[in-house]
Amino acid sequence: MIMKLSGQIIKRRKLDYTLLAALFMLITVGFLVVLSAAGGLSFGGEIVHKYIAAVPLAAGAFLFGWLFNYQIYNEQWKAVYVFILTLLATVLFAGTVVRNTSGWFRLGPFSMQPAEICRIALVLVAAAFLTRNSRNIKEFKTLFFFGLLIVPAFLLIMLQPDFSSLVITAPALLIMLYAAGVNLFYFALLGAFALAAAAFPVMWTFTALRPEVMETNALMYIVGRMAHNWVYAAGFCAAVLAMAALVWRGLKLFRVYLPAVFVFIMAGAVIAGFWGGFLVNKHLKNYQRKRIEAFLYPEADPKGAGYNVLQAQIAMGAGGVTGKGLFSGTQSKLGFVPEKHTDFILAVLGEELGRFGTLGVLALYMILLWRVAIIAKAASDIYGSLVCCGVFGIFFTYMLVNFGMLIGFVPVAGVPLPFISYGGSNLVASMWAFGVVQSVYSRRLSVV
Amino acid sequence: MKTAQFFNARRLRVLIILACCAGAVIAWRLIDIQLVSHRHYARAAEENRTQIIYQTAPRGRILASNGAVIAGNLPAFSLYYMPAGRPPDKEYTDALAADISLHLSMPKEEVLLKLNSAFKSGKATLLLQNVSPRKIFAAAELRVYYSGLYILEETKRYYPPGPFASHMIGYMGAMDNKSWLRLGGDADYRLNSRIGKSGIEKHYEADLKGRDGGLMLEVDHVGRVKRIIKDNKWRAGSDIYTTLNFEAQQAAQDGIKNSLTGRGAVVALDPKTGAVLAMASAPDFDPNIFTPYGDEEALQSKKISIPEYNLAIQGMYPPASPFKIITAIAAAQTDRLDVHEEVNCTGKIVLNGREFKCWHRHGEHIDFMKGMAQSCDTYFYTLGLKTGASHIEQIERMFRFGRQTGIDLPFEKSGNLYGPAKRARNKTYWFGGDTLNLSIGQGELLVTPVQMAVFAAALASKGKIWRPYYIERITDADGKNTFVSAPQQLAEAKLKDGVYELIQQSLKDVVDNATGRAARIKGIDVYGKTGTAQNPHGDDHGWFVAFSAREGQEPDFAIAVLIEHGKGGAGAAAPVAREVIKAFYGIK
Repeated sequence: MIMKLSGQIIKRRKLDYTLLAALFMLITVGFLVVLSAAGGLSFGGEIVHKYIAAVPLAAGAFLFGWLFNYQIYNEQWKAVYVFILTLLATVLFAGTVVRNTSGWFRLGPFSMQPAEICRIALVLVAAAFLTRNSRNIKEFKTLFFFGLLIVPAFLLIMLQPDFSSLVITAPALLIMLYAAGVNLFYFALLGAFALAAAAFPVMWTFTALRPEVMETNALMYIVGRMAHNWVYAAGFCAAVLAMAALVWRGLKLFRVYLPAVFVFIMAGAVIAGFWGGFLVNKHLKNYQRKRIEAFLYPEADPKGAGYNVLQAQIAMGAGGVTGKGLFSGTQSKLGFVPEKHTDFILAVLGEELGRFGTLGVLALYMILLWRVAIIAKAASDIYGSLVCCGVFGIFFTYMLVNFGMLIGFVPVAGVPLPFISYGGSNLVASMWAFGVVQSVYSRRLSVV
Repeated sequence: MKTAQFFNARRLRVLIILACCAGAVIAWRLIDIQLVSHRHYARAAEENRTQIIYQTAPRGRILASNGAVIAGNLPAFSLYYMPAGRPPDKEYTDALAADISLHLSMPKEEVLLKLNSAFKSGKATLLLQNVSPRKIFAAAELRVYYSGLYILEETKRYYPPGPFASHMIGYMGAMDNKSWLRLGGDADYRLNSRIGKSGIEKHYEADLKGRDGGLMLEVDHVGRVKRIIKDNKWRAGSDIYTTLNFEAQQAAQDGIKNSLTGRGAVVALDPKTGAVLAMASAPDFDPNIFTPYGDEEALQSKKISIPEYNLAIQGMYPPASPFKIITAIAAAQTDRLDVHEEVNCTGKIVLNGREFKCWHRHGEHIDFMKGMAQSCDTYFYTLGLKTGASHIEQIERMFRFGRQTGIDLPFEKSGNLYGPAKRARNKTYWFGGDTLNLSIGQGELLVTPVQMAVFAAALASKGKIWRPYYIERITDADGKNTFVSAPQQLAEAKLKDGVYELIQQSLKDVVDNATGRAARIKGIDVYGKTGTAQNPHGDDHGWFVAFSAREGQEPDFAIAVLIEHGKGGAGAAAPVAREVIKAFYGIK
């Protein structure tokens, strides 16, 4: 009854109890912290009611995900895909607008965020597509069609607009691609593109914020001018191409025969990234730029854009080792921590339960990821593995962005922490995702 | 293993390692924030939720010797703004500023300026001090609509008698650069503190100040007060009991005010101790004009306009006729005074071809008593020539002319000593005419009113030269005396037997029968000498130097009155002295 798998002993069980226990503990901690965070809010009562109503729904979603054979998603992936697009399209027209975002369905006292469900469903669809193309996964064609598949859903989400949903989904899909075995060169290309696209807006924000660095630093001067001056921009593109040629030629001298195509495609990726960054910089919303500024200089304007993160860090730091005790955090109770029941819930946790609270939740998250990875290995088919990788990617990104935002490593993206933050749709969708993972576990390879 | 065919286990392992690394980095940062920097953040959290409002302690009172309050306190309300968390948007701030400026009649720009500084500093900021009770109701109503407003009850300085020894008492004002350097180290002083700017208010600042109280409030992110965490009660400042006699001081001020020019000084001392019983200098000012704290610019112009020059210690005048007493003492000391010797006053004396005039033609048979009573210059010219200038200067030095009296007030002038020795030191010559000028107290000789009062006290106490003092005792909030003054005798002017009695007798004669008649009071022995100080720039100054006693008792009141441009001592100064003496003895 015991099977040995790369050092891990998996008992023959229908359910992964470790995963289940971690989920249960996370939800318990989350419930207590939300209860505490809601205490100081005017709409706190409503939050608690909704949360209590969401818990049985989440349990139902988990059971559905577990008992329903996950392979059916693979079989009917086109139907799932259509379901996603319809849901996202409908919410654009029929959805309720909350804070300039039409991402909500509202039915009487109940409201639902379809993007949360679609995030998981998109993983299921992506896994199905990759499974079908697992034999020619190394080809560029596969990647291209994968992109065609994802882009409509992304566009619909961007139209809401729900920026934070993309922040989670895109890295998760990348992780799936990586796990599926896509050629590393494409990742390098993507990395170069993304780096250029992200680095330039940040640098331009920096030069706009501190014009004096342009005077002292020649490199920064050129970079700064590139944002406005076409000559400098074109010069940069030419320089990248020249550099690529030089690298190719140089490598040849050392008897490394790299096809010229590779080098120039790489250079193209950087240039494309540059223009992408150029576009992003042009269309960056004011509040988004503020977030970048706050990320670069959190202390520069403690009352302005950096206020949220600073207050959250103060709350966490003030908690110390043991915390101030549940329901007695001053930073959260007196309203200094913003969005304390959703995005910044970790600050409340850190203040009231201290280091034990934050590290405990971190540990539980690591356990979740570890179990999902194990289940990905044990899955009976490649589809199951890929679904697990997708779920891994989603929760890994959640953890990275939410914790990272709080410790000042990632700009504020407005992303909640599943199970801990308040959010009914998120809780239901997350539990469904882990139900599906359990389903993969229950239907794993049966080598007796 | 079969899975390996489907799935690339190596890449999964990379992902797991990636997750572990991320987890480790996060855990490291969490420990850094929550463990290593815990104290820093804990303090920041504490600063966030708490606001401290200082409550100025009631300043110690300044009282007259009979307990009448010269400087006290009135309740006053102050309006504070407590910023919290994120600064509110411009609309809210504008609305708040508009409402405050409307209800509390304060320029909107100023309100906005103060609000912005509050946002910037994150500390409770004083918006308006000394709000009237009627306006404070409007402010209390505003509190309902705008969080962050806080009303605090404080006290403000009040001087019930208005102008009353104003140069000695001083006044209050805003903190300035120089004072900040001196006082800023003390936690009880803040930039908006009010401090004593002159006189007792400045000199005894440390005693009067008391210890400020403070409220530690818990506020939420929009500055609403949730509860009071700590309430440190203030400790009132110490009360200062002056030696001033309330009635005498009032009479002295009124006397100068009602005199010919309304300018002058009165100093009255207790000849038994040197305690200042009255010190008036006019023009004076009402220190109450500085208490409606608020418009700093208006206060600044008021400050420039007030007469801060204290004539009683800073005004220098020739002593004139009262100095004849010194000449007489010098003659008596050197056995050159024969009280029966008579002089013929023809209205002038001629020395070395120069004429020295007497103020009146007194005729023949002027002996010492008559010379003193009529203040005959010719008599004293003769006596001075007989005695010699050096002896006169010796007595002058004995009574400490030309030296500060040592009264504990700033900027005291020392006057100017005049005599042959002084001349010799200055390497100039002494002429016979100088002796004549010195004999009648004119010429280069200069004295201050307080010096003359000390001189009068010395004559009254037969030689005791006191250092004048005006603080009787300082009593702290618990009623304990932290300071009790002890009279300080600077010198003793010892004269030959009978000289003081002779001088006193002649001075009594002056008041009873001659030039000082204006100061005669029934039931009181008044001893005095009038004087008319020649003034080349205008009308002569009037002197009256006197001491008094209840009939048949030891003298207990010494006074020097100077009326600037009063034309004469008998007409201008003596009546003032009379009123002050009457007030001192309680005679209606």
